[in-house]
Amino acid sequence: MKPSEIEILRKQHRERILPTTPMILVGMGTCGIGNGADAVYNHFQKLISENNLDYKLKQTGCFGFCAEEPMVMLYQPGKPVLVYSKVNGKDARRIVDNLQKNRLYKDKLLCRIDEWDFLTSEVEFGKGYEEIPHWDEVPFFKGQKKVVLRHAGLIDPEEILDYIAVGGYNALTKVIMGYKPAEVVDQVMTSKLRGRGGAGFPTGIKWSIMQKQNTGQKYVVCNADEGDPGAYMNRNEIESDPHMLLEGMLIGAYAMGASEGIAYVRAEYPLAVKRLKTAIHQTEKLGLLGENILGAGFNFKLDIVEGAGAFVCGEETALIASIEGKAGRPLPRPPYPADKGLYGKPTNINNVETWCNVPVIIEKGAEWFTTIGTEKSPGTKVFSLVGKVKNTGLVELPLGSKLEQFVFNIGGGTGTSKRVKAVQTGGPSGGCIPLEYFSTPVDYESLAGIGAIMGSGGMVVMDQDNCMVDVARYFLEFNARESCGKCTPCREGLAQALAILTRITRGEGTFADLAMLELLGGVIKDSSLCALGQTAPNPILTTLKYFRHEYEEHIREKRCQAGTCESLFMALCENSCPLHMNIPGYIELIKEDRVEDAFELTLRDNPLPGTIGRICHFHCQMRCRREMLDQPVSQGEIHRYLADTMYQLGKENEIYDKLVKEKLPPTGKRIAIVGAGPAGLTAAFYLVRLGHEVTVYDALSDAGGVTRFGIPQYRLPKDVLKKEAKLIKKLGVKFKFNQRLGDNLLLDELKKEFDTIYLAIGAWKDIDLKIPGENAKGVFAGTGILKEMAMGKTPKLGGQVAIIGAGNVAIDAARSILRLGKDVTIVYRREKGDMPANAVEISESEEEKIKYCFLASPNEIITGKSGRVKALRIEKMSRGSIDSSGRKRPVATGVFEEIPCDSVILAVGERVDSGSLAKNNMELTGDGRIVIDPFTFQTSDPQIYAGGDAVSGPSTAAEAMGMAKRAAAAIDRALMGKDRFHLLSREFNYRNAVPVNPKPGPKNVPRRLPVKDRVNNFNEISCGFTGEQARNEVERCLRCDVKY
Amino acid sequence: METLINSPVSGEVLDEIIGKHRGKPGMLLSTLEETQEKNPLKYLSGEMLAEISKKLKIPYTQVYSVATFYSFFNLKPQGKHSIVVCRGTACHTKGSKALLDDIGAIFGFKRTDDGAESSYTTPDNLFTIKTVACFGQCAQSPVVAIDDIIYSNVNSRKLLKIISNVKDKKQP
Repeated sequence: MKPSEIEILRKQHRERILPTTPMILVGMGTCGIGNGADAVYNHFQKLISENNLDYKLKQTGCFGFCAEEPMVMLYQPGKPVLVYSKVNGKDARRIVDNLQKNRLYKDKLLCRIDEWDFLTSEVEFGKGYEEIPHWDEVPFFKGQKKVVLRHAGLIDPEEILDYIAVGGYNALTKVIMGYKPAEVVDQVMTSKLRGRGGAGFPTGIKWSIMQKQNTGQKYVVCNADEGDPGAYMNRNEIESDPHMLLEGMLIGAYAMGASEGIAYVRAEYPLAVKRLKTAIHQTEKLGLLGENILGAGFNFKLDIVEGAGAFVCGEETALIASIEGKAGRPLPRPPYPADKGLYGKPTNINNVETWCNVPVIIEKGAEWFTTIGTEKSPGTKVFSLVGKVKNTGLVELPLGSKLEQFVFNIGGGTGTSKRVKAVQTGGPSGGCIPLEYFSTPVDYESLAGIGAIMGSGGMVVMDQDNCMVDVARYFLEFNARESCGKCTPCREGLAQALAILTRITRGEGTFADLAMLELLGGVIKDSSLCALGQTAPNPILTTLKYFRHEYEEHIREKRCQAGTCESLFMALCENSCPLHMNIPGYIELIKEDRVEDAFELTLRDNPLPGTIGRICHFHCQMRCRREMLDQPVSQGEIHRYLADTMYQLGKENEIYDKLVKEKLPPTGKRIAIVGAGPAGLTAAFYLVRLGHEVTVYDALSDAGGVTRFGIPQYRLPKDVLKKEAKLIKKLGVKFKFNQRLGDNLLLDELKKEFDTIYLAIGAWKDIDLKIPGENAKGVFAGTGILKEMAMGKTPKLGGQVAIIGAGNVAIDAARSILRLGKDVTIVYRREKGDMPANAVEISESEEEKIKYCFLASPNEIITGKSGRVKALRIEKMSRGSIDSSGRKRPVATGVFEEIPCDSVILAVGERVDSGSLAKNNMELTGDGRIVIDPFTFQTSDPQIYAGGDAVSGPSTAAEAMGMAKRAAAAIDRALMGKDRFHLLSREFNYRNAVPVNPKPGPKNVPRRLPVKDRVNNFNEISCGFTGEQARNEVERCLRCDVKY
Repeated sequence: METLINSPVSGEVLDEIIGKHRGKPGMLLSTLEETQEKNPLKYLSGEMLAEISKKLKIPYTQVYSVATFYSFFNLKPQGKHSIVVCRGTACHTKGSKALLDDIGAIFGFKRTDDGAESSYTTPDNLFTIKTVACFGQCAQSPVVAIDDIIYSNVNSRKLLKIISNVKDKKQP
């Protein structure tokens, strides 16, 4: 092959890229094929041949957007390329059909490509289809810079002529015909390219050392042993564009004087091996590989060696040993491979992606390369964005881009209702980076600065359901298993660290273990022979640094909040329930027709079963295993049914009497609880049963707090709460109402009269909106309106009301005043999907025809002449990028509108009314919440404990009750000097039968009042389960708590 | 002289494999890989290792060291069907451990926490269950390969279906 012949081939085969007839390109990487791309390809083939169509069909590599596979591109001469995603057989038929009729098939259409820069050439497809977003406007692709992935998805990886047609092997020709080897090395040096395998060593320096070696035989090696779990960039690079790798190695071999090369590819990548073999074969046939390449007397041959499943062989000396037919055990360096490598000869080993950057550097010049990325880390890097993220796939960004761009802008956040917790970078050698550090740029140095590493580019996103202790243990297990065993710190150290971590996940850990882990980690890091051992402690050390509280919870409370460490909880539902209700227990008891026992079991865990069964956020359902089959089990609805049934039959008194009889003997200790809301009532329930004398104070006139004075009757009828408060009174708790802390109830007096005080005053102070007109006549606080209505009064509102806010208070207020006949509009600055209120509340409010004004930010309350509200001026908002709460930021547009109204209700959040506590020098947070020790629940005054919304800010009733339950145990422990809480529970014996063949089916849904029967009254909307529904629903439980 | 009597891989086939890779880099690895592949029971017997050692003139201890170092090589016969569960980071994050537990429940074995036993073959030799550190299909985790076909986005329900399909096909 002569250099001029390549130019001729390029011109001749340009038609492969820009044919004169339509062409269909099907992405056939391993991911694509795994999702049915080969079937789609066959479909197209059949359609084209059966209909004798003059269309070309081509297989390509992967365009990078793995979540949307199979991807198909449609090329039409003179028009932009159309990119379709998640294509199936039906789509294939419709694409061909529409193409024949010259119509645009809009289904599954993702984006268009007007022109493409292959870097070795540029191509213009055409203009048009402006209503379809351009590929770089799609969130996943926006901001990406395709350097290494310049051809991927657009050419046929098994066709060298495609590669040449887009300008491939031009760089090689330039080099062989015009550069001296030292000049090539210079270019690579100037580009400041750094090794893309993870260590980031300057490639130019490595090459320079090799080039200067004067001995005979030299080798170049491609390290394609991509063993990092979670990383598959190299696989895609080889599968989609193997010639890019070959060209890079050829250029490198020429520069360094190597005549032989080896590509070490892991065996788990059969398609990559196949495509590389094909590429080598084709290159040999064209005389671009082998003897006398391009007639310039340059010889180079390339062999492929397949790995056999050893992660450590990614380390260069181990890799060399592996090729030499030995076990892959690293050797001390020096000597470095550039001195003594394969078979004792100078060897240069580079990662796949490093080699792939070389042709571009030659083609566009080293200076061009340095304009991308940062000063110390020029160029781009391909990352694999995977895990709990919406848009998974391969992302190529300039080095120095921030983590948040990857996770939120390109990845789109979790894509579910769960929150992002951390990103794990760098594979098993890397670290876990928490949300707070997401503004860190991604490059070699910045990530190392926070204790992580960039590594080969794997990025695994984790959400609130991932336990970081388990993550550390997972990586440790991986590293321990892959250790070659040669050096003691790695072999013994990792095994011991793994044993310690395993014990912690089983609830058998101690704080001494944490100290040992840190010590061990340091020793292993400092004294291991190779990078596997040296970096293996990173996952432990970073999780200990950033997620220490999770370790502490596992050790101190034997609790795994995320619900991963199975020895620490009974079932996922029970673990997620703030009260840790034994849900499988009461479900099984109902299955066995033992309703009283089921109710008693429930009551012991949750003193307000009827109330909570109506208003809870149902944390249990968010983790129910049944969801993997069809829908979660309605655990909360079931315990509501239990309470309602028992109350209806009047049977609850028997159980109440039982509990009264069981009270532990009087301790003589006196406890005051301030606040009769869910937290206060729960604390009272447990403390009085433990034998203490309990008095509950409340500022309002009745017990219940938010459940009595904040939640409307149509969600929670007064009678239910009254019944449940009766139990607490029966147990001997004294109530003193109309006593407000700081007014007629003083903390200092309480401290003198009682041994311990528990503050559960909730969060009742409305947050100010701070807009002009806030103090006008006709402006009300949301919680104030609800309180008034709960006390039986009718608030003095006008007829046209605007409510600002979209949480539960806003919706409760809206639906309540709707029932008074008012015209209601809810004004919210974000969109419906962002509303923090319960989904059920939102949909019911829509049924009741409450009006919504979204993307509207309140700007001013406009008053009329009498000083009374006349209208609400809002500024229209547009959707910005995703912020750390996972929602799109509202962006001001400068366009204003006025909503006519005569009353405005503010419901934008509540704060704790802690003014009087501040005067008592109690430690508070910046926004007024009470600070407590997370394990003892004590405030800065050891005699005073606190819990509920007063500590956490507005949260859920169940969470407040959960905190109070644990606080009661802590208070009792402190007063009595020992653990007595378990004495309040009793054994319930029930069967442990696991349904073996569960039939998929939807959950039971309780009957609700139709809209017309409920909009003008406050009757309870949900009728709860019937007996039959309850019995059917319990059968759906998979009893995943049963362990064998 | 035919030294491999009653061996699933005949002396002839072995010679062919060795001839293909002799003198090339990674000769021993490639030879072992292909020999195991050609064996219908997908494993390397002591006999075969000894034969390879003799023909390649590599000390038996070295051949044995390589065969036991790399996880790809099986020294025991494998089941007719292979089930490989990926335990890579992305797959683990999305719950592949639960899938492994499901498989354990279906086939009746319990995984040890310290991971000492890395593969399990059912007593009737029909299934071998193994794990792999990472398939490289991370965008579509969790991933399970059954009889070398890679399935993506696998959940408990899908897994049950695929396994029962394989089990059914085995009935003639």
